[in-house]
Amino acid sequence: MGVSDLRYPKLENFNKPNVITTTADFIFSWARSHSVFPFTYGLACCAIEMLSSGFARYDVARYGMEVFRPTPRQCDLMIVAGTCNEKMAPVLRRLYDQMSEPKWVISMGACATSGGPFYDGYNVVNGVDKIVPVDVYIPGCPPRPEALFQGLLELQGIIQRYKFVAELPEVGAGGDGGRKG
Amino acid sequence: MALEVGTNPMSMDAIAAALVEDFGGDLTDVRVQEPDTIVARCDRAALAAVAQRLKDHPQIGYQTLNWVAGVDRMKHFESIYHVYSWKTNTWLQLSVEVPFGTPEVDTVTGVWPCADWHEREAWDMFGIVYVGHPDLRRILLKDDFIGHPLRKDYIDNAENHPHV
Repeated sequence: MGVSDLRYPKLENFNKPNVITTTADFIFSWARSHSVFPFTYGLACCAIEMLSSGFARYDVARYGMEVFRPTPRQCDLMIVAGTCNEKMAPVLRRLYDQMSEPKWVISMGACATSGGPFYDGYNVVNGVDKIVPVDVYIPGCPPRPEALFQGLLELQGIIQRYKFVAELPEVGAGGDGGRKG
Repeated sequence: MALEVGTNPMSMDAIAAALVEDFGGDLTDVRVQEPDTIVARCDRAALAAVAQRLKDHPQIGYQTLNWVAGVDRMKHFESIYHVYSWKTNTWLQLSVEVPFGTPEVDTVTGVWPCADWHEREAWDMFGIVYVGHPDLRRILLKDDFIGHPLRKDYIDNAENHPHV
């Protein structure tokens, strides 16, 4: 999955004026993947690049992600930007737990991914994936905003993989419709 | 009346001579290290009294403590106090030897209250115990950290990371 998996409505689907034929899965995942609310949360210098990508020069709003929210309860994307030390780790986990479902995590930069130049330090977490589940890793020290955008596009592909409509088995496949699992 | 920035009514050699004369054996190895910095050593038993006298000195008067540093010299620790004189616009770097066996030295929070957090950090990183400190606990590392990581003989292992 990734950038190549991003899907957009095709013009040939506009077979009648003002009518789009598509699936519920697609239209919801397409909308959700283009209205990601990132969390205003930076740990170190990667946060500077993250903020830079939010402003006019790079402008993350082009991908529908301009609304950086300062509270975890309104966010569904945590960009872990910077070194996470062990004293910060419980706070990071708590903020992640406070985010509303569904939620995703991007590990931005070498420090958040593996500890980076501080690997094996006495107070450094060697990768935030020991604390929170990470969907996309972005290498770099720090990654440029273009690299962050690449990661965000990868994440959009992951979000579009999400199924919103429960897949029920065909009628007659099982006595109870398969609901007992 | 405050001096203009950078002006010094006394020469550095005169300040060093005044320190040697007024403090006698309490300050040793007094020398001018940089154009605005004097370094000196002090016995750890005399530190609290010397600090108070340095602050109350009529001509020089080191009124401001800027930071307290800890150093591991492999043979002993050092607790280093960087103090500033507004009457002469000069620095004093006061070093105190702290032995490995009993890493204890008197606190100077009674003289310069801002030493509070600096001494907590030196204790956090080097394990130097500041006797008489009002609230000596870790300041940067988490409360249940084991050991003092900036000591040269500190060995990091998995037991030091119980939560991650």
